Amino acid sequence: MQVLAPPAEAAGRTRTSVLRAYAPIAVVGVLAALLPLRYGDSRTMMGVIIGGVLFAAYVVGFNVIFGSTGQLFLCVGALAGLGGYGSALLSDRWGLPMVPAMALAALLAAAVGGLLSFVAVSRSLGVIFTGIVTLAFSLAFQNLLLGQRDLTRGETGLLVEAGSDTFLGEQVAPYYTFLALAVVYLVVYRLLQRSRVGWAFRSLRDDELAAELTGVDVKLHRVLAGTVGSAMIGLAGALYAHSEGFISPSTYAFGGVDVRVVVMLALGGIGSLLGPVIGAAAFTALDEWLVSSNEYRLVIYGAVIVALFLGFPRGVAPTVQSLLRRFSGGRRVRGGSAAR
Amino acid sequence: MKAVVLDGIVLGLQFGLLGVGLTLVYGLGGVLNLAHGQIAVLGAIVAALRIDAGSPTFVAVLTGLAVAGVIGLLLDRTLLRPVYRLRGEPRVLLGLLLMLGVAFIVDGLLVWRYPIEALSLRIGGDPVDVLGVGMRRGALLASAIALATGAALAAYLRFATLGRAVRSVIQDEEGAQLCGINPSMVRSVVLASSAVLAALVAVTRSMTSPITVDAGIDLTILALIVAVVGGLGSVSGAFAAGVLLGIVNTVSAHYIGSYVTTIVLLGAAALTIVLRPSGLLGRGQETG
Repeated sequence: MQVLAPPAEAAGRTRTSVLRAYAPIAVVGVLAALLPLRYGDSRTMMGVIIGGVLFAAYVVGFNVIFGSTGQLFLCVGALAGLGGYGSALLSDRWGLPMVPAMALAALLAAAVGGLLSFVAVSRSLGVIFTGIVTLAFSLAFQNLLLGQRDLTRGETGLLVEAGSDTFLGEQVAPYYTFLALAVVYLVVYRLLQRSRVGWAFRSLRDDELAAELTGVDVKLHRVLAGTVGSAMIGLAGALYAHSEGFISPSTYAFGGVDVRVVVMLALGGIGSLLGPVIGAAAFTALDEWLVSSNEYRLVIYGAVIVALFLGFPRGVAPTVQSLLRRFSGGRRVRGGSAAR
Repeated sequence: MKAVVLDGIVLGLQFGLLGVGLTLVYGLGGVLNLAHGQIAVLGAIVAALRIDAGSPTFVAVLTGLAVAGVIGLLLDRTLLRPVYRLRGEPRVLLGLLLMLGVAFIVDGLLVWRYPIEALSLRIGGDPVDVLGVGMRRGALLASAIALATGAALAAYLRFATLGRAVRSVIQDEEGAQLCGINPSMVRSVVLASSAVLAALVAVTRSMTSPITVDAGIDLTILALIVAVVGGLGSVSGAFAAGVLLGIVNTVSAHYIGSYVTTIVLLGAAALTIVLRPSGLLGRGQETG
């Protein structure tokens, strides 16, 4: 694996390059931390913003899996549901304290995601077959939630007791918990990107065969991405269950979670650090704006998806960025900087 | 038990016809048509609206099928153009996402404009005795239509020039092009016919149970499962898988329960991909 050591120029980066690498996360974190100043009074608006941050966290996890290693996981909702239902049941039914319950549930999601990834990798399924297998898992999980009524209470939904008596029951405090989670995820993503694993991810994205030939264990890195990303998604789903205090199968449904996650990532830019944040923010704003037009919201969603992928196949943010770059005199931005 | 299996075959023939359309479109251009079920429902709802407006049933159904076909053709001629300009995985991904968008648009429009519309064709008459089981006439007519259409389709693909062109593009797009076949024309024809077939399935389904405006997603998922188990791109595979899954469906729904049935069907699709990616009748090679 020594082959993958970063080239000399990157290894010799100074402290400023470290600053530059993490500055975007700090800026986003600070900006997002100011939002409750404006919306802190309104319970509905805080709910909307928390939803946005939750989805940003999902999308970062999905980005680790799909953006870094090209595995189309159409089971983000199901993985989050494993985390949410897992943690709720572990704490409320089997009496575990909340934090260990969340950790265990996240581990469960990680194990399932890792297993799916392992199956996809060892049977060398392409993007479409990985997509269909994970979609099948997603729908089967949904049916399981609906069917196992004595455990999940079916579509009536489950009240989550654990966490309601902590600060998670308040109005603004949960927001900062979610924000901290999302910021940690971004830092993890950046750490991965800058580590040897990140080099392996990039090389296997560019050319799988070439990566294999230069000594990158492609399978190992795919499964690693699948596991880490799923753990992120599961933990976010678990945190949501405890802060919201109520979950139902539709909280984690394919149509409600996966479709949004895919659109958000495409909107923000696949495989970029801030893409998930930009995508989640833009989509949440659009969603909020469309709330009044409930009847034909689905139509507008569809039209947005079509327009988006037709007009910006590479993602909106990267396209806009490269346009800006062209107008600002063609200043080259290196692969590891804020943009990527 | 016999009645359950016969019901399964009736259902399975329609599953097969539903899967065939999806499988052909995917085999041909790598586009996984996630709006397949929605287009089917669109055709059925157009037929229902025409019947409400007083047209004879047969004319109304033909109108519905025609509208579905035209939509298919339009989609291919407009939205899917940029998709076909790509190759490999980017093409598959863009096609899938665009059709997902189309699925939302069609679904949203139908539910918004005609929330309570449904197509339900009642075929009168006493049950007919088949192998000692009284079968409803609607079920028999639906099966007969599915069988006839399937046979006609298979024969067309085997013997007609255009049918052969379709198969040649499925096998090797560039090779077909070198033989003077225009893949883009073939794709348009196939997407339009796949839309007509989908609408036809919705119409025949409505002979036994009503097709409501929101049935699109379920039909799409069903078509996907059938196409995957049969092997994406394989027509005979889709029919075999359809009948098999139809029987599995009714037997499992009858003896175990309906939510397990869905899981069984989904599990079948996932297992097929993992164990035999080229499908039930595949020869074990990569189908693309």
